[in-house]
Amino acid sequence: MENLSAKPPSRPTHLWVMSGAAFVLLMWSCQAIADAPREVTMGLVQKIFYFHVPCAWLLLLSTFVCAGGSLAHLFRGSERGDRVALSAAELGVLFGLCVLVSGPLWAKAAWGVYWQWEARLTSSLLLWLMLVAYVIARRYGGPSARRLAAAISLFAAIDVPLVYFSVRFFRSIHPSNTVVTTLGPGMRSAFWLSLLAFTVLWTTLFAARIAVENVQARLVELELGFDQAEETRS
Amino acid sequence: MKMVALAYGFIWLAVFAYVVMVGRRLGRIRGEMDELQRRVNRTRGNAPPAG
Repeated sequence: MENLSAKPPSRPTHLWVMSGAAFVLLMWSCQAIADAPREVTMGLVQKIFYFHVPCAWLLLLSTFVCAGGSLAHLFRGSERGDRVALSAAELGVLFGLCVLVSGPLWAKAAWGVYWQWEARLTSSLLLWLMLVAYVIARRYGGPSARRLAAAISLFAAIDVPLVYFSVRFFRSIHPSNTVVTTLGPGMRSAFWLSLLAFTVLWTTLFAARIAVENVQARLVELELGFDQAEETRS
Repeated sequence: MKMVALAYGFIWLAVFAYVVMVGRRLGRIRGEMDELQRRVNRTRGNAPPAG
């Protein structure tokens, strides 16, 4: 029987350092957003942009990381890849939800409606729904649903270029991808700082989620070992 | 102002809720780990002396 005294560290130092860095950067970016000049036509509501775009970037990043992990699981049987994929999918659902809530709030003020069935919004909703399907399949589908979920994540990854380029290829009322290059100096620094802060936050949450998955996998391994040892004894 | 507060508030709340959810999941796993440790200790206590 394996020694169970090797418990997971209760306070992993790297996670605390990363959490601290994410918190400081987020506070700093909030200050920069507050100090950034107001956009002339939209006014204060344009400040949603500083959180909305980083969340959208993290939705796309999560989908790619999830698909990468799923590919490793599908073609190499990698358990680690599977854990990476699940962690990234959960974060994709989280930040996708933030995009799909903050976007319509901005749209209501800017366009007068919460939602338009146009290419960028619809493909983003579709992407988020695929990640939700992944998480539901993993949570309620049992071990046999892992491969099915991995396949769903690959379809989600195919949707990412569609989301990104939709404003270029289809007629859309959504602002184009080049809007960042048109920002003034005060707005630009606030935007990049916010993007950095959110990326560090994502990395921290991802590392924490992976750590939980690793501990869970270790627990299952130990329980199996214990049960086998019990059977041998009896 | 209302829309900005709603958007920022929702994002902060969602991230906070996720952190709480991950923390609770870790707490549950720790509980299961402790339970397994107790089972191991019980089994060791009942085991006949070696040799």
